[in-house]
Amino acid sequence: MSRIILNRRAFLAATASAGAIAALGGKGWAAEQPVKGGRLIVAGDSEPANLNPAIVASNGVFFVASKVIEPLAEQSYEGKDGLSPRLATSWEGSPDGLSATFKLREGVTWHDGKSFTSADVAFSALEVWKKLQNLGRVVFKNLDSVDTPDDHTAILKFSQPTPFQLIRNALPVVTSVVPKHIYEGTDIAKNPANQQLVGTGPFKFGEYKPGEYYLLKRNDAYWQKDEPLLDEIVYQFLPDRAAAGNALEAEQIQLAAFSAVPLADLDRISKVPGLKVYANGYEGLTYQLIVEINHRRKELADLKVRQAIAHAIDHDFVVKTIFLGYAKSSSGPVPAYDKTFFEPDVTKYAFDPAKAEALLDEAGYKRGADGNRFTLKLLPAPFFNETKQFGNYLRQALAKIGIDAQIVSNDTPAHLKAVYTDHDFDITVATPVYRSDPAISTTILFESGLPAGVPFSNQYGYANAEIDKLIKDAASTIDADKRAGLYKELQKKAAHDLPLINVAEFSFITVARDSVQNVSDNPRWAVSNWSNVWVKP
Amino acid sequence: MNAWRNLNGEGRMGAVILTALILMALLAPILAPGDPLAISGEPLLRPFADAAHPLGTDRLGRDVLAGLLHGTRTTLLVAFFSAAAALIVGSVVGTLAGFLGGIADAILMRITEAFQTVPGFLLALAAISVTGPSVPTLIFAISVGTWTQAARVTRAEVLSLRERDFVAAARTLGMHPLEIAFREILPNAFGPAASLAAISVAAAILIEAALSFLGFGDPNRVTWGSMIAEGRTVLRSAPYLSIVPGIALVVTVLAVHLLGRGLSRSERLQP
Repeated sequence: MSRIILNRRAFLAATASAGAIAALGGKGWAAEQPVKGGRLIVAGDSEPANLNPAIVASNGVFFVASKVIEPLAEQSYEGKDGLSPRLATSWEGSPDGLSATFKLREGVTWHDGKSFTSADVAFSALEVWKKLQNLGRVVFKNLDSVDTPDDHTAILKFSQPTPFQLIRNALPVVTSVVPKHIYEGTDIAKNPANQQLVGTGPFKFGEYKPGEYYLLKRNDAYWQKDEPLLDEIVYQFLPDRAAAGNALEAEQIQLAAFSAVPLADLDRISKVPGLKVYANGYEGLTYQLIVEINHRRKELADLKVRQAIAHAIDHDFVVKTIFLGYAKSSSGPVPAYDKTFFEPDVTKYAFDPAKAEALLDEAGYKRGADGNRFTLKLLPAPFFNETKQFGNYLRQALAKIGIDAQIVSNDTPAHLKAVYTDHDFDITVATPVYRSDPAISTTILFESGLPAGVPFSNQYGYANAEIDKLIKDAASTIDADKRAGLYKELQKKAAHDLPLINVAEFSFITVARDSVQNVSDNPRWAVSNWSNVWVKP
Repeated sequence: MNAWRNLNGEGRMGAVILTALILMALLAPILAPGDPLAISGEPLLRPFADAAHPLGTDRLGRDVLAGLLHGTRTTLLVAFFSAAAALIVGSVVGTLAGFLGGIADAILMRITEAFQTVPGFLLALAAISVTGPSVPTLIFAISVGTWTQAARVTRAEVLSLRERDFVAAARTLGMHPLEIAFREILPNAFGPAASLAAISVAAAILIEAALSFLGFGDPNRVTWGSMIAEGRTVLRSAPYLSIVPGIALVVTVLAVHLLGRGLSRSERLQP
């Protein structure tokens, strides 16, 4: 009898301590004991023809290339100016706005073993960013030369005063550094290294099988000690893109970024044990849902008609039903999260179909015998499910106020050509990206005098001298507060004059297995280098 | 009524379903007034949950029943017209090829074969991406891929007919060759081609649905294919959005097939 009691006691004691160990151990794992090694399998997004982020600064490219080729600095939630250093360790602009000095990291090597120096930065800046890159052409428009007093200092010299605030905000996106020794003297745009990337990042480019996968392999000589943690990253292309949710559940992939899992499926997926939904980590890539307007059309040139359209759109419906809550209503061209530039005090257009009808009547467009005032050609951009759905909604919303919107659906190339080259549209649904500074890709939507064919720009036939002057002034204003003030003024003018209608701002969702650690820990997470990501075994 | 009596059970069933579908298409504006794409209720209502939306609503709150009824119009309109176009073009080409013979036959048949080597759906897809989606272009695009069968069947029939005595008689009467081809031979050769009509209509319905599914349908009209495509994003949480139009599609194609089989049995149209 006593033996049994003893045994039972011993058993209880043993299980209790085992439990304690398990509990302690569990905590220890999650907090500070990352496990090295392992492979992360991610749902592939797109297969760009040119994978060089120094030339094509777009999210589809960054998603893969940002792990291989690094910028001078990356966005961060807690760093100074919202940045954390990468290839540059410090940066400073001169008071006259004519130069910007970067101290570069020492002891960094390219994946082929050569040392990274200021010559690489000078080459990238002058030959690639300024001349070839979609966004760099705007940001580095006035870049004149790059001085390299030593191997670890690069001084960018500008011919016109260029606000350092803009350069700094643009660093993560426009400053991917490529190796001079590989690109110099070649046709940069056609260099094979644009596919077979060579960089300084935590991962080396391994293999690309079209339609199947991209494989990235650990860079053992990475400058950040003890990183990267993963051995491999695989971007697996799923035969059916809509199947990302199922692939996650079946553990075929461990992570799906860029809302590869449709919003409508998130509610169900979030309840699946072992999967986690991240709504953050995309703040630096805010997309804006807007209605573009062709001001060449007589009716739309009338401010009252544009106001009527703005009053006809129910932001609440858009956010709740189309985006299922994964979006915010927006009032102007700068998203609310950007505290530096956002101006909350602008003209707002409440959902009010009756007022919209009154405005249309005032403008002289009465309902005809069939109940229609006039017909518009509506081109919803085919980029996202949500843009197409908003197109369907907009058609219905306009029908309520007597505007007959006929939807024209195109594939992406045809859509871009129709809107930005041929101007063959009346209104569209579009999704420009706000990239941390209005001058990078936002003011281009308002500025007049751009040649036809520039995508995501003012091809709307809209010209407003006051707005043009604000944009021009801000482009050469060095003082950060004054510059922000000019952009706030721009937002007020834009909201009042409605060259286009801002409806909502939205971003993406990441869904990952809960074994994947350090997900969404910076505002551009999906397109950052993932050197600290690890997978619990 | 004679035709009805000649029909077998299969054919009668097909005829009944098809008549019901045509009635549905004709009465759609009365049964479900207004724009079927209008947002009329809460999004994602389940079927049979709300009397106002007996088949539920989709992601945006559009009534599924209204979509289904109005979708019948688009589907039948496109299917019948494209099958008719395919049949007319096919039998004219087939008659010319079979009757003229020689070089004309060779050229026309090589063209037909060229079309036949490319799958009909791909041709439709190519045609639609060039012209842009709308109902007339859909009809054109679908018939581009489906006229070849009718052409081949008609040609085969004409080849045997043109050696008959009544054609020789017409020749000796001094009729113009084209007159002989289209007034004497084609009407006699048309029967077998017409029995293809059922297959053509069924094929057209499926191609139209597939095109709409891929986003190449007319975006301002509701079609079953586009309903299935839109339901696909929420397949796991709201499967009825794809199932309801899917069933409609199956029933329609089945009805056309049944009627076609019934007709060909009763009238011995099968060559």
